[in-house]
Amino acid sequence: MSPRARLKKFFDTASRSKLMIYACVLGLIALALMSWSLFDQGWIPVMVAMSVGQGIGTLSLVLFLAIAIIDLRRAEFRPSLPPNRGKPDDD
Amino acid sequence: MHISPLSWIALSCAFVAAGIMVYYLVRRPRLDLAGMSLMFVGLGVLPIMVALIGNMQGLDATERQGFCGSCHTMDMWIEDANDPNSTSLAAIHSRTNKFGGKSCYVCHKDYGMYGYALTKLGGMGHVYKFLSEWMWYDRDEVIEKIHIARPFKNQNCMQCHSTTGSIWTGVADHNGLLDELRSGETSCVSAGCHGYAHPFSKPDEETPSSDEVHTAIHGGSPEGT
Repeated sequence: MSPRARLKKFFDTASRSKLMIYACVLGLIALALMSWSLFDQGWIPVMVAMSVGQGIGTLSLVLFLAIAIIDLRRAEFRPSLPPNRGKPDDD
Repeated sequence: MHISPLSWIALSCAFVAAGIMVYYLVRRPRLDLAGMSLMFVGLGVLPIMVALIGNMQGLDATERQGFCGSCHTMDMWIEDANDPNSTSLAAIHSRTNKFGGKSCYVCHKDYGMYGYALTKLGGMGHVYKFLSEWMWYDRDEVIEKIHIARPFKNQNCMQCHSTTGSIWTGVADHNGLLDELRSGETSCVSAGCHGYAHPFSKPDEETPSSDEVHTAIHGGSPEGT
């Protein structure tokens, strides 16, 4: 299966709530790592925050965007204007 | 531990974002427009604020002595720089306001056009060397095996000591070596001039005493050149 087909299958079948749980857990880990460097400015916390912490945070945001894409793909768009039915008969 | 006002803002953002995420994990609200908007704030806007402020604070922290000294291999360099009785160049400069808590960075940074990025790249190289090799060294091995990667540039001294002032040009040795000093052929921090910036790390090398340096500055060179 090509990567494109795999991605399409993912967007068709993935569970939004499960993805959101993963996004939240990853987000919490990222926040903890990024906040650590605000308290302790040694080389380990600072480098971990600016690499691992931000990487995990980005992954969390990507999962959220994936949920938004899934929403958009599943949404039924209805035109805001009624369809043109032609002029009513005069009589 | 000092936490800056900016850090408090970042911590507040992190706290609110964490609250939103925990709220979702516990209550599982519907992911309709309101729910998604809330999660956008919790997973997007606020963590990005934390990351941006974290970057600013983190990059600022990398310029501080505490950051350089957080590797145990640098312990002796930091101890000497902060020793009020030390007469090494590093200690003398660290005692001034211009350098203060950033003395390692102010002296060792690259002052070229891409200096900031190159300095950070050099720092990454130090982290790699620390993780792969230096972290296993004890204090004796540190002195023996760790040396500056490239010779110290006079350009860094010349950021403050312009080599044009009357006191500086009044020193005979400076005048005699003006071109060599400006081009970097002769190092300001060599044994025959002002001595090594961290003399304790060069136990076998000759370095002038503070009296000799004082005499050279205020009373002409001992050789009268």
